[in-house]
Amino acid sequence: MKRSLSTGRKGRNDNVTRIVRWGKNLIRLIFILIILSFLVFALLYLAPGDPAEKRLTSQGIAVTKEVLDAERERLGLFRPFLVRYGEWLLGVFRGDFGVSFRDDLPVAPKLAAGLQKTVQLASASLLLSLIFSFPLAVLAAWKKDRVPDHIVCLLSFFGNSLPNFLISVLLMYLLCIRMRVFPVIASGSLQGLFMPVISLAIPMTGRFIRQMRAEFLVQLSEDYVAGMRRRGVKERYLILNVIRNSLGHILTIIALQIGTLMGGSVVIENIFRWPGIGKLVMESITARDYPVIMGFVLIMGTIYVAVNQLADICFHALDPRGQA
Amino acid sequence: MKKKALALCLAIVMGMSLSACGGAAGTSTAQPEAPAAEQPAETETAETKEEPAKTKTEEAPQAEASGEKILHAAASFAYPSLDVHKEYYGWYTSIYGISEALFRMDENMSAAPCLAKSAEADGKTWTFTLNDGVAFSNGNPLTAEMVVKNLKRLAEVNERFAYLGEFEMAAPDEKTVTITTPEIYPTLKNDLASPECGMVDLDATTDFDNAPVCTGPFVISKFQPEGDVEVVKNPAYWAGDVKLNGAVFYYMQEDDPKILAMQSGEIDCYNSVSSAALEVYKADPDQYNVVSIPGARLQFYILNEKTLDDAVREAVNLTVDKEKIASYLSGTVSAAVGPFNTNAAYGKVAVPAVDTDKAKSVLEADGYKLGSDGIYEKGGKKLSINIAYYAARSLDTLALLIQEQLKAVGIDSTLTVEEDPDSTYIATGDFDLALYCMIADKSGDPLYFIDSTLKQGAYYDCGGFDDDRCEKLIDELRYETDPADRAALANEIVQIAIDDNAFGYVGLFNSTTVLRKGVSGFAENIPFDFYGIDANTDIQ
Repeated sequence: MKRSLSTGRKGRNDNVTRIVRWGKNLIRLIFILIILSFLVFALLYLAPGDPAEKRLTSQGIAVTKEVLDAERERLGLFRPFLVRYGEWLLGVFRGDFGVSFRDDLPVAPKLAAGLQKTVQLASASLLLSLIFSFPLAVLAAWKKDRVPDHIVCLLSFFGNSLPNFLISVLLMYLLCIRMRVFPVIASGSLQGLFMPVISLAIPMTGRFIRQMRAEFLVQLSEDYVAGMRRRGVKERYLILNVIRNSLGHILTIIALQIGTLMGGSVVIENIFRWPGIGKLVMESITARDYPVIMGFVLIMGTIYVAVNQLADICFHALDPRGQA
Repeated sequence: MKKKALALCLAIVMGMSLSACGGAAGTSTAQPEAPAAEQPAETETAETKEEPAKTKTEEAPQAEASGEKILHAAASFAYPSLDVHKEYYGWYTSIYGISEALFRMDENMSAAPCLAKSAEADGKTWTFTLNDGVAFSNGNPLTAEMVVKNLKRLAEVNERFAYLGEFEMAAPDEKTVTITTPEIYPTLKNDLASPECGMVDLDATTDFDNAPVCTGPFVISKFQPEGDVEVVKNPAYWAGDVKLNGAVFYYMQEDDPKILAMQSGEIDCYNSVSSAALEVYKADPDQYNVVSIPGARLQFYILNEKTLDDAVREAVNLTVDKEKIASYLSGTVSAAVGPFNTNAAYGKVAVPAVDTDKAKSVLEADGYKLGSDGIYEKGGKKLSINIAYYAARSLDTLALLIQEQLKAVGIDSTLTVEEDPDSTYIATGDFDLALYCMIADKSGDPLYFIDSTLKQGAYYDCGGFDDDRCEKLIDELRYETDPADRAALANEIVQIAIDDNAFGYVGLFNSTTVLRKGVSGFAENIPFDFYGIDANTDIQ
């Protein structure tokens, strides 16, 4: 009875500790985002360029100073830096990301739409890339310095070196012009997803193969592998052990890639007319659309921190030795 | 099938090999674009000669079968709204054939009648008479009262047209609009030809952003904000029959997909064709029709009179060879004489011919001596100028070419690139030679450009150009109502600036349109960017 009571208390204590840790992480995230947003806001404030001028002269028509000043006044650009930042931050706490300087439309729906498209593209290309890279990396590590390893390494080298705009144009030419299996102009459907996914996945697969192979090789050189081999453990069990022990580091590699992918790929999005967040943000930077840029920074900051946190949790779950 | 698979494998291997040899993509703006742009050109000439023909035969039966003429075009810009009066959205509703203004700019850069049939100025009062039978796509007639309401709304929602709010507007009868301006305003007719002055049925329109009711030959059928746009024929078009049944505008920013889409037959036309694409289309004249005319967008440079003496400015202008630059930019630019198209009455100015020997003697007469390194110097100081530019509208290429040409006569230069010219060198005047690109003629009248660049205190008069006679003439131009006299005044003003070597007008961007054979009427002969399809656009 005493034992069960102490076990229950320990469980409750564990839960409390976990909640406290989550709370601390959340506060840390908010703190990071505030500092990040302040820095970016300050950089945008200092950078040359003016959203009013960009907006009024976007088609190459010059405007008078009076017209420009009236627009600056309307956008609130004459107000002091701290007032503008404070108002923006208060708005964010209320769930209001403001309106775009480029077209007066609310920022949140714009970012949400772009992010949704980027998530689709990023997750599909990541999945495709993992499907190919993981087994190929295992094969290359297992058959190190033998023919399969050389072939995989060569493919990885090519994939890694190919710029994705070249892959995009080559794919379009082959599949749309020569083979005519896809249209050049594809809408945001599954068909439209195919070529941008391939274009993103090829270089990513090349990178993953190299990184995963290196991790598997590290594990294969460990003493426990030599010990298992000496004990006559079957190769397939040995591979499973190696894979399991490599997973923590591989998850970190994937997590870092997710962060990059979520930033969007401007080139791919432009070529394939994919309205993702990368294209949106690039256009916003050109137009000095501060509210959209700030919203993007918050989203990306949150994604980076969350993904890294998640990778950390998975890492500890896979290898509890590192846990304090 | 085997052949296709083999072709696929070969192409992948070739692509990989090319990339592996070439290394990773660079980050410079000028150089790395070339391979991407050239790729389709190579593939077109080498391998796909027979493909477009195949496309045509495949496409034709489809069109015949459905009996519908649907034009597919690419658009380089897309906006989140179709509100004719806001921002520059009216440019796109005009391109889509949805909205029309009281006047329409024609090939001769004149404001021709459209919704209005006449315009008469009497001192400060303009009287506009609407055309007979003008109606919105819902059948409601366009009344003078509605025109006034539209112009008042435009003044409220668009800062660039806020000045219209200061005018007194009235509708004495159904067909007549009178506008009284505080001062004589000769360019009102041209202003009203701007696409932002398109007429919308303000009473019937409930969704200005997505479904404005206008007078154009087409009505919106599908609008994706910042994406593709579909229009269908307006069966009740007031000006008669519309040849097309509809059109689709695909938002395509990149050059390569546009070329490939033309080759695959997915689009029929587009404008603002790049030089790389131009080569592809010109190589296949049986398939494509390319129309290129000098447009209204000007590449020019400002010479800083505060930092460069007269002799150096004159030497620069005698050295910069616009024809060579235009030839290097292979068809995208026509060498300019003044800021305006030479076909316009106000584009008749003269510039001295390129003469590098004279440039050298001008410098030597001013006390410059050629140094051992081939660069002039005076008082022990080398002649070196700071060329400021930004990497858009081919100005990066222009900067390099000008640098090269100046060096050949003994003028050294350094290049300063800025991302945003307006808030850097244009605002501060920190340059010797500043490159810039802007629309010089927005509505068939010279005042806008002259006012923006030559008037003392104007934002783009940042090189210190100041001439009393010029100021007086600009004031005269502001109130002159006779077109011939306006043209003469404009020519005189621009000539003063040219003679003072305050500016160098390098090139006018060509308005270049590619059309599949049989397609016509995509505003290919109009030098303004804001026209596209109209009632006469057709596919044979």
